[in-house]
Amino acid sequence: MSYWYYRSTGPREAKGGIKAQTKRGAFGQSWWATRWVSMLDDFDIDERLARGRTYARRGQVTSVGVEKGVVTGSVQGSKRKPYGVKIKVKTLPARAWKMAVPELFARPDIAASLLTGRMPEEVEEIFAKVGYSLLPSNSKELKTDCDCYDWSNPCKHVAAVYYILAEEFDRDPLLVFKMRGADVEDLLKAADLRPVEVTAPASLPEEPLPTDPDKFWGRTGLTGEPEMPAHVPEMPAALPKQLGSFPFWRGKAKFMPAMEEIYEHASPAGMDAFLGGQESREESGNAGHVKRRRTRGPRTAPPPSGKTGT
Amino acid sequence: MIILHAGAHDGGIVVWGEESRDDRAGDASWWKSVRLGRTRRHPLAADPETLAGALDAVLPSDFKTAGECTATVWLPTRGSYPVPSSDIIAEPPPSQAGTKMVAWKVAARRLSPDEAVRLLSLSADRRTVGPGVLVGSDMAYWAYVLRFAGFLVARQRFLPGLEAERGLYVAKWNPVFAGRDAEQFGMLARRMPAAARALSKPSEQEAPKSPAAVVLKEIITSLTDNIVRRAAPYVPSRQRRAKFDSVHDSWLHALKSEDGIADGVPSGLAELAIQINQWQRSITISTASPFRLCFRLEEPADGADVGSTWFVRYLLQSRDDPSLIVPAAEVWDGRTAVLDRSGSNAKAFLLLSLDQAAGICRGVAEGLKNALLEGHAVTPPGAYEFLAVEATALEQAGYGIMLPSWWTSKSARAKLAARVSVHAPTMKGYGGLSLDTIMRFKWEVALGGQNVTLEELEEIARMKSSLVRVRGQWMEVSASEIQSAIKFLKKGKGRAQFMDVIRMALGAEETPGGLEIDGVNSTGKLAEVLGQLDGTTEIRDLEQPEGFSGTLRPYQVRGYSWLSFLRRWGLGGCLADDMGLGKTVQTLALVQRDWQEGSQPVLLVCPTSVVDNWHREAARFVPELPVMIHHGTDRMRGAAFRNAAEKHAIVVSSYGLVQRDTNMLGKVSWGGVVLDEAQNIKNSETKQARAVRSLGAKYRLALTGTPVENNVGDLWSIMEFLNPGFLGTREEFQRKFFVPIQAKQDAETAERLKRATGPFILRRLKTDKSIISDLPEKMEAKMFCYLTEEQASLYASVLDECMRDLYESEGIQRKGVILSTISKLKQVCNHPAQFLSDGSGIAGRSGKLARLTEMLEEVVESGDRALVFSQFAEMGHMLKRHLQETFGLEVLFLHGGVSRGQRARMVERFQNDRDGPQIFILSLKAGGTGLNLTAASHVFHFDRWWNPAVEDQATDRIFRIGQKRNVQIHKFVCAGTLEEKIDGMIERKVRVARMVVGTGEKWLTEMSDDDLKDMLSLREGA
Repeated sequence: MSYWYYRSTGPREAKGGIKAQTKRGAFGQSWWATRWVSMLDDFDIDERLARGRTYARRGQVTSVGVEKGVVTGSVQGSKRKPYGVKIKVKTLPARAWKMAVPELFARPDIAASLLTGRMPEEVEEIFAKVGYSLLPSNSKELKTDCDCYDWSNPCKHVAAVYYILAEEFDRDPLLVFKMRGADVEDLLKAADLRPVEVTAPASLPEEPLPTDPDKFWGRTGLTGEPEMPAHVPEMPAALPKQLGSFPFWRGKAKFMPAMEEIYEHASPAGMDAFLGGQESREESGNAGHVKRRRTRGPRTAPPPSGKTGT
Repeated sequence: MIILHAGAHDGGIVVWGEESRDDRAGDASWWKSVRLGRTRRHPLAADPETLAGALDAVLPSDFKTAGECTATVWLPTRGSYPVPSSDIIAEPPPSQAGTKMVAWKVAARRLSPDEAVRLLSLSADRRTVGPGVLVGSDMAYWAYVLRFAGFLVARQRFLPGLEAERGLYVAKWNPVFAGRDAEQFGMLARRMPAAARALSKPSEQEAPKSPAAVVLKEIITSLTDNIVRRAAPYVPSRQRRAKFDSVHDSWLHALKSEDGIADGVPSGLAELAIQINQWQRSITISTASPFRLCFRLEEPADGADVGSTWFVRYLLQSRDDPSLIVPAAEVWDGRTAVLDRSGSNAKAFLLLSLDQAAGICRGVAEGLKNALLEGHAVTPPGAYEFLAVEATALEQAGYGIMLPSWWTSKSARAKLAARVSVHAPTMKGYGGLSLDTIMRFKWEVALGGQNVTLEELEEIARMKSSLVRVRGQWMEVSASEIQSAIKFLKKGKGRAQFMDVIRMALGAEETPGGLEIDGVNSTGKLAEVLGQLDGTTEIRDLEQPEGFSGTLRPYQVRGYSWLSFLRRWGLGGCLADDMGLGKTVQTLALVQRDWQEGSQPVLLVCPTSVVDNWHREAARFVPELPVMIHHGTDRMRGAAFRNAAEKHAIVVSSYGLVQRDTNMLGKVSWGGVVLDEAQNIKNSETKQARAVRSLGAKYRLALTGTPVENNVGDLWSIMEFLNPGFLGTREEFQRKFFVPIQAKQDAETAERLKRATGPFILRRLKTDKSIISDLPEKMEAKMFCYLTEEQASLYASVLDECMRDLYESEGIQRKGVILSTISKLKQVCNHPAQFLSDGSGIAGRSGKLARLTEMLEEVVESGDRALVFSQFAEMGHMLKRHLQETFGLEVLFLHGGVSRGQRARMVERFQNDRDGPQIFILSLKAGGTGLNLTAASHVFHFDRWWNPAVEDQATDRIFRIGQKRNVQIHKFVCAGTLEEKIDGMIERKVRVARMVVGTGEKWLTEMSDDDLKDMLSLREGA
């Protein structure tokens, strides 16, 4: 095959298509995405898989959607009109949900994970215990379709959608539930776990500037430190740790150690600003200037008792 | 003079300034002379050069002058003129019209976040950042905001973010406000002065209306981001995008890089920004939730063995009603729905919070697997880990923490501490006991306040646990503490110098193993001395020493006795009585006593401005003592100095000279070193502080009128001078006292520091009940000041000229010459610039001015108010300008040109405005009569009107009905000049004195040439 050949039949450029984040190697990082991708191997279409990956990386997939039992997508090929791709997925029977869901929500850790959009592997274990599999277990549970002229099914367009979907699953594992016929939102509601909503803070009313000069210039009387103790935390980066590791981190540097390092460096700098930059002030030779009178607390300590006989 | 203002604009800080151009600015006529162009330039805004000059002087030189611009600021405007922020700049425009907001153009500088952090941290808690550069209330506000940002960063309350800005993606560190931080934030928003958000774009037709909270959040975010970014580990120069394989690397890089711009495919970055928000969603939720998750650590049941597990129980607490606390298990299984209310779901919130807490506290991950969701069990080491580390982290993250009281109170009862039992050396009386006397003592160890035996300690050590239960009481012990305690008990005995025993007794000493020492058992004389130190045993009052002329007041006797007690033991003390209570006489009494007992000379170090005063006070109160002044260019040096010094009881010198002559002074063996105005050495790193510390002496004494004990940072330097090594090295002090007290506000440490230093500091206030009854209602003192070299040479040349003229004149002309000479000499005594009236610089050229500034600083620091009288209007203007520039405070000045209305307003503000001006300058003519100024408790007569009746009348301004304070009158006199001689004549009530009354200075004109020359000439050595 020559270079020329490619250029004449290559796909058209798709502006703003979904570009796969995975630049090389396997698609999908989570256990469920990996399982999803591995199912493609069931189809014996290696060359088309490679092209599908290229499509996914180049952003030829212009849309992808997941509904109960079906995945739809459109892929920009060599024709002007993108091809429509449809992957039908067998939904789980009501019985499966009925048996598995109470088990899922009896476990606070799993419930917490689902609530925050994560899917621990224990989920699949629980489905397995009642005799089902949350993820499709083989290619027979899928029916793929594309309106291109390729005789092969799945074709490279299906493969591209399939790969992009793997990344979507990484991002939102609960799509897997949806694909298999159940809305997690509904499941959570049924378990009396309405997701906590953040109500957008009502926008604050405008505050016109006061025209009264005394009020305008104002005396704040703010001196001294905020009246709370400032501990440098023994455990660095508690806030990021509270949130948990960044989902599907692909950075070269590890996320949490990088955070810890930054947080550890930040504390002393913050302390310096908090204490009024005393060190830097002495350096700059300004120490002689008049300090504002402290307004907090008694002006002086009482004289040491007893020794003056008073 | 310039007042710096800082306003928020477009997410950053913009600085501009108001400048007083003219001493007379603000008079009604002045405002009329102001020309307003059509451009609406602020008539009193600092011009670009002045602003740049002020900022460049303050900011370190490595900041380049960038960001110069013209800003638009909306100000309250009366008639056609903007109302200045302070009367220091100008009085309000005299228009009767109402006030409206008008946009004004001002020269400004847009600060980079770096510059903002530097400038604001320099302005924190200051009124001036340089001579004549004042901090406006808006800038002071932002300086406080910076401290709040620092407070958040120190506690790591921030998270990384990514935001789209002007078509780019910018990585940012955002502050997180939860719990009390959110309250602080709200308080700050409410207290923002409007001036801090009065800047707008030039095109804007209306004054800004952005809510304070929005503006505040932008600025805190920018400050937080800058502090974190600057502190982040070094990032090499900007990498090209190709080098980042993923947006994650690009983001991480941008979080540390200078500009924060994240490179990468926009769609990828957009996706990442969404992911980051998702990732942080739970924090967003929990900070806004009506509940709070709490953790309660529960001890094993009584009688359980040491290895039993502890339990961390989960609870939910309502934020509205903190007393409403429900076990998590009941919320989870649905038994309790009390916390549920419309729109919030306690069960889901509980799971979310626990899920987050699992990132901080490992046990929670286990607890989440427990289907009952009651909590999690921990082993004894795990319980210790929870108490010592995890609980604090959880609390900082906004969770509620309930810990056993024995842990939180951390009282001495639940601690391992060493004690020593000292065998006092046999001695008769105090004979032979001194600070370096070696004493033998026995170690004891107390646990929870009770002595424990070696066997008990070894038993505890065998448990190998950080938490032990002794006699039913849980407490924390560290293995290393137990080991050192065992070592002490095995060793049993030790030897230490008396000084170390004192440190142990006052809690300033730790054992070698880091054990706290909670007491010294002793008997006899030793116990008495230790008791007198810590105030449990009274110090006997001494008779005032023979040869001391004058009578000490009862509290002065107590102070003198206290000083003598410390001196007896060679301990250094700091006498910090209020100004006017007589620190000088108490010190002189001590020196007199010492000298009689055959001691060596005392070196008295003071600011140049009071050298003469000490000389005179010594002559008055201890006339028998030989006093030597070591000052001036003709001072003695080398061996001659040493020989001379050793023949004198007191050698007075200045801080400047001690620093220069350190080696020479070090060769004299001093009985004592006394520092007057000891706040001069509060910064331990300065050369003068090092110099005075290097001088050897048998005892040391520091005098100061400012409350040193309130500033932890300054305390070390003074204590290190007084009792070297007592508080450890500076680094030890920083670690053991400064950081815990200043940053963590640890009350226990503050208490310990007070206990350790209290015995060496005596501070009494005029207002103390026991003092006030000893004081007369009016205390008058002369303040003898020196002439600078410039003043002395001007004085001499004026005198020469006068003598020349006298030869050539007689009669009425002669009188004229004499009167004008006297007037000129008085001007020279006041200030060279007044005499030359050339508008030249003010600072550092007049001894009187130096002393006045020092004394007023003390007045201002203690929150008192003062009147300053001068008979010269020019001097009044100079004083006002100088004092305002130095203190950054408004100073009032009443002179003949002040209108009736202005005058009434000044008096009203001085008398009744709580935050009003503290210093009121009055020209003797304009302010001498008819005013009621009882708010003042100090009166300064900067120059003299040789008519006591006139002076008294002026002084009486503050003795009107309503005066409740006792009042101090300070009369300034230049030593060795005509001022001193005339003052002396009035004092001695010589014949002329009667003539003086009511006749002003005319009598001088009747004197013969020789008498006159004698009267006016400068005494040798002055």
